[in-house]
Amino acid sequence: MPSPNSRGTSSPIALIPASPTASLFRKKSPSAMSTAASYLSAVSQADARARKLTDADSTTSTPALSLSSSVTSSSADTILNETSFHANDDGLSYPKVPPTSEQVFQTVHSEFGHCGNGSFRFNSGHQKGEPLKGVEEQEPPHFVLLTTYLSYLLLIILGHIRDFVGKRIRPAAYKHLMNQDGYMALNSDFDSFYTRRLKMRIDDCFSQPTTGVPGRTILLLDRSSPDYNLTYVPTGTRTRALNVSSYNYLGFAQGSGGCADAVEESINKYGVAACGTRLEAGSLDLHVQTEALVARFIGMEDSLISSMGFATNSTIIPALVSKGCLVISDELNHASIRFGVRLSGANVRMFKHNNMEALEQLLREVISQGQPKTHRPWKKILLIVEGLYSMEGTLVNLPVILELKKKYKFYVFIDEAHSVGALGPHGRGICDYFDINPRSVDILMGTFTKSFGAAGGYIAGNKNIIDRLRVSGHTGTYTEVMTPPVLTQIMASMASIMGVAVPQDNKSVVPAHVLAYPGPAPSTALPTWMPLVPAMIDGSDGKMRLRRLAFNARYLNRALRRLGFITFGHDDSPVVPLLLFNPGKMPVFARLMRTRATPIVVVIVAYPATSLITSRVRFCLSASHTKEDIDTLLTACDEIGDLLDLKQAIGERWPLKEIMDRAVEIVNMKEMP
Amino acid sequence: MSTTTAALEPVFTFLSYSYATLETSFYKIPGSHVIARYVRSSHQNDPGRTVLEIMLFIFAVRTLLQSRTRADHSGKHFIKFDEKEINDLVEEWSPEPLAADLTPHEQAELAAVPVISGPTGPKPKLITGKTVLNLASYNFTGLAGNETINEKAVEVLRKYGLGSCGPPGFYGTQDVHIQLEKDIADFLGTESAILYAQAFSTIPSVISAFSKRGDIIVADRGVNFAIQKGLQISRSTIRWYDHNDLHSLEQVLESVERERRKKNLPLTRRFIITEGIFDHDGLISDLPKLVELKNKYKYRLVLDESISFGSVGRTGRGLTELFNVPATQVDMLVGSVATGLASGGGFCAGTCHVVNHQRINGTSFVFSAAMPAMLAVAGSEGINILRNTPSILTTLHENVRAIRAILDKVDAITIPSHPASATIHLHARIPSPTHLSPNAPPSPSLSSSGKLSNPLSVIPRDPPYYDYDLEEKLLQDVVDECLAQGVMVTRSKTLRKQELAEVRPSIRLAVTAALSRKDCEKAANVIKAACTKIIGKRR
Ligand SMILES: Cc1ncc(COP(=O)(O)O)c(C=O)c1O
Repeated sequence: MPSPNSRGTSSPIALIPASPTASLFRKKSPSAMSTAASYLSAVSQADARARKLTDADSTTSTPALSLSSSVTSSSADTILNETSFHANDDGLSYPKVPPTSEQVFQTVHSEFGHCGNGSFRFNSGHQKGEPLKGVEEQEPPHFVLLTTYLSYLLLIILGHIRDFVGKRIRPAAYKHLMNQDGYMALNSDFDSFYTRRLKMRIDDCFSQPTTGVPGRTILLLDRSSPDYNLTYVPTGTRTRALNVSSYNYLGFAQGSGGCADAVEESINKYGVAACGTRLEAGSLDLHVQTEALVARFIGMEDSLISSMGFATNSTIIPALVSKGCLVISDELNHASIRFGVRLSGANVRMFKHNNMEALEQLLREVISQGQPKTHRPWKKILLIVEGLYSMEGTLVNLPVILELKKKYKFYVFIDEAHSVGALGPHGRGICDYFDINPRSVDILMGTFTKSFGAAGGYIAGNKNIIDRLRVSGHTGTYTEVMTPPVLTQIMASMASIMGVAVPQDNKSVVPAHVLAYPGPAPSTALPTWMPLVPAMIDGSDGKMRLRRLAFNARYLNRALRRLGFITFGHDDSPVVPLLLFNPGKMPVFARLMRTRATPIVVVIVAYPATSLITSRVRFCLSASHTKEDIDTLLTACDEIGDLLDLKQAIGERWPLKEIMDRAVEIVNMKEMP
Repeated sequence: MSTTTAALEPVFTFLSYSYATLETSFYKIPGSHVIARYVRSSHQNDPGRTVLEIMLFIFAVRTLLQSRTRADHSGKHFIKFDEKEINDLVEEWSPEPLAADLTPHEQAELAAVPVISGPTGPKPKLITGKTVLNLASYNFTGLAGNETINEKAVEVLRKYGLGSCGPPGFYGTQDVHIQLEKDIADFLGTESAILYAQAFSTIPSVISAFSKRGDIIVADRGVNFAIQKGLQISRSTIRWYDHNDLHSLEQVLESVERERRKKNLPLTRRFIITEGIFDHDGLISDLPKLVELKNKYKYRLVLDESISFGSVGRTGRGLTELFNVPATQVDMLVGSVATGLASGGGFCAGTCHVVNHQRINGTSFVFSAAMPAMLAVAGSEGINILRNTPSILTTLHENVRAIRAILDKVDAITIPSHPASATIHLHARIPSPTHLSPNAPPSPSLSSSGKLSNPLSVIPRDPPYYDYDLEEKLLQDVVDECLAQGVMVTRSKTLRKQELAEVRPSIRLAVTAALSRKDCEKAANVIKAACTKIIGKRR
């Protein structure tokens, strides 16, 4: 094995040096040492096993449907321990291709996949000056539309017949839907019809309980239903599946590694709780530090954090707008935005999703007409959009919005829940992606749930605005504060993306131009006790995550279209919706995916979250996926797509093999015709 | 003439033919006979009605079609402008700033917020370097910083990572969440429970999941801000009863029932919504009486136990334990895991139907990521500790008594809170020019003896008089003085303009079992001295 130093720490493919290096501020904790040591030995075992497996691969066909295990182990190496006595060739717990002796990966493969090939990387970003082009939305053939409508009709008729008969034969089962002894039913049979008669049929595809880290793979707790999805009983077995469902864009959902070490340290130091609200003695130094770091990360003057992403919208928007103000909202905005707007008492107008002409039309109308009836001018107009739409995969057309903003003087609020971390060459979100100064936007909101593997949300903006929100938003006064472990995860993961600037000697400070957005975080911005590994300090860990995610997103988007599927959204979106249309195909797709030799879990979405006909399956990619994982997914889609007749798109098609072989070329094409 | 008729002949035949096919195909649609019969018979009874119904139908279709991207073009208030006029109007319009700058008063208030350096707990260190006695943070049972919980948390971290990375519906439900839900349900004795990721966001979601436009909610005038938001978002019909006055509640329930009978209104869902221990003043609801009333009038009871869960009862089960009422008598029992178990999130306990309904209709449950696994396990462990260590609650209640024993006698303040409440609110007692004794807490006998308050308005008939700004200032001075003397307390902060009714300024103490009795007495004496010094001086 060559000396770790000869390779340097900023290797573009981010192979972390094998020897445990001293952390910046502190020696590595013994527990982390032992983890690393046990990991190394496990890797070499894995190495050996994998070699054996690839040899035997052609001769034995192992069912390997589910990794059932009755062993519960609470050690940090659960995943490694658990699979060590199972034949495993699904590539989920161990790489199918064993690592070479120079490659030493410091992540657990099932959490964060091992990928040493430096060409499977890409930089996320938009060519300045080019218009933003999405995939044009393709209409499905008419017979698909027709059968979709007919399916719903059939489902509704069948549902009514079942209700009609059921009420007469088994009245007890309907009792809770009926008014009884003076109480109106909490949920009448009419209100719950959709849930009972349509959703219930495919309910096994939702709310599946899981355990362990929701990383590259996820461990499902298997269940079965004796009564057609009314109730479930756990079967006691567990299935490890490839996870293309969790919001884990940068792969920070990890039980080991730099962030987890930092969180462990914080638990030892701070405990789990902070107790109280920000303005009533719940403020810790960690909150102040995190807010400062978030502001620096986003590139805004100041920021404010809240313990729940949903509540960030629902409790802050009412402090921004009120009666006499107008909110212009994209028709597909998230429920939390609607919730907040409804509470604010402001008027709302919606415009067609991401349609800039419709937006301008609307702006001209509302500004010229003023408030309804009185025609008084609006106090202010706030445009609320999302950076990346989580059901559509579309990016907001920010350059055009900012043009319009100059002319029409509205304020812009962008919900970056899905775009922060996931987009842009520096992971700073939608502004970074378009190379736009974040300060040209008034408010940037986002959540820590998705890219940072944490929880909660933030609002960033000018200091005077943020201070106003601290005082007048509901968050500071009424909601519980974020807990110390969550705060630490946020800081550690952000530091990992940004890199840390350490002053050369103790006296000198890092010059301001180095720290300017989107530069590294000064080490003084982080708690002194926080352990940092070298890959976090030089930013190579974060960079590798960003570049892997960008590659994966572009590859899957383009490959699916080359296979002939109808997808929505932009090529660089890590959220990839694949259209299924027919309601009957949803559960079949999900079940076929889940029961493959390499099980895959997917999210299916239908009405009312989408329009009636555009039922879809949604893949959420992560930096933790490897090229092989995407290939596995593509193979599955290809097979199931043929079975379910999903390849309805017009345009050039390539065979799967060719797509997989030419992946790098596909990703690097400037535009895919 | 005849030629035109002849020429039109095929058209007529075609028309009559298509009418016939239309009619037969209409009758082929299942259910069409019913519709036809209905239209015919209603036309027979009242021809005007047919016209009305057709208009209604067209109107309904129109609103359905328009509801999404509604344009006001056709509205009678729409003014038509040409392009140039619009450009001028756009040019002319100048918006207000997005946010008003803070006033010096608000700035000072923000700057006065204490920040803890290091872990919170009964004796935290502030960033100023001072170590203080903490009667401000919600840490009733002293679970914050508990070693067992911390060890468990690290274990969970290594096994689950931190975030759940998804909403509960999409692989965000982990076994530890299911476990905590079960633990809460077992602890309280309900069928089931559901976890939300944040306590504050729990009850608005619970209320709006069940109560819709047209449903009736009877709520206490003093409910907390979260409930107020829930009422607002639900768009239900709200009736108010006087704060913690069940006599007034009964009158309101009676009047609602009378109105329903008089107008012959259909049955709707009806809810009583109140708190266990009130966030605004520490009063405790009379649960047995509430349950009696809700059963009598056939309402469902939504009880917010955000403060009482984990702070009253023999083992901290809350109001139901305190009054020995089975928790199944409360239809939706909402509590805080963050406050009660020193972790994060909130819950709603109830029957399986109540809980499962929320899994699909609870907005902040469905559209938000599940809480981090670590916090769920911390909650479970907290329940475990409370179950096995009843002495925690005994200590807490002794501490409450010790503090009350000292503060009850202070002339400069009044304490509205119930003697058993672990949150103690202090109101400043300043003689006012207009009223002789305006500062007495609103007593039930007072309001019920006179005329009824208007149930449609959140403002009671005789709102108590006080000088908000003055009291707020004095109390803040008391808080600052206490901090200087090494005791951290806080004013109970409220958003004055956003609360439905103004909440009287108070200092809120949150007593903890983690402090010794001696420390509690010491802290109480500091508070006493500060009150006497600052408020007493004014008297
Ligand atoms: C656009 C948007 N905003 C806010 C949220 C809520 O975030 P959280 O899950 O952290 O509560 C989500 C999550 O799904 C989202 O998609």
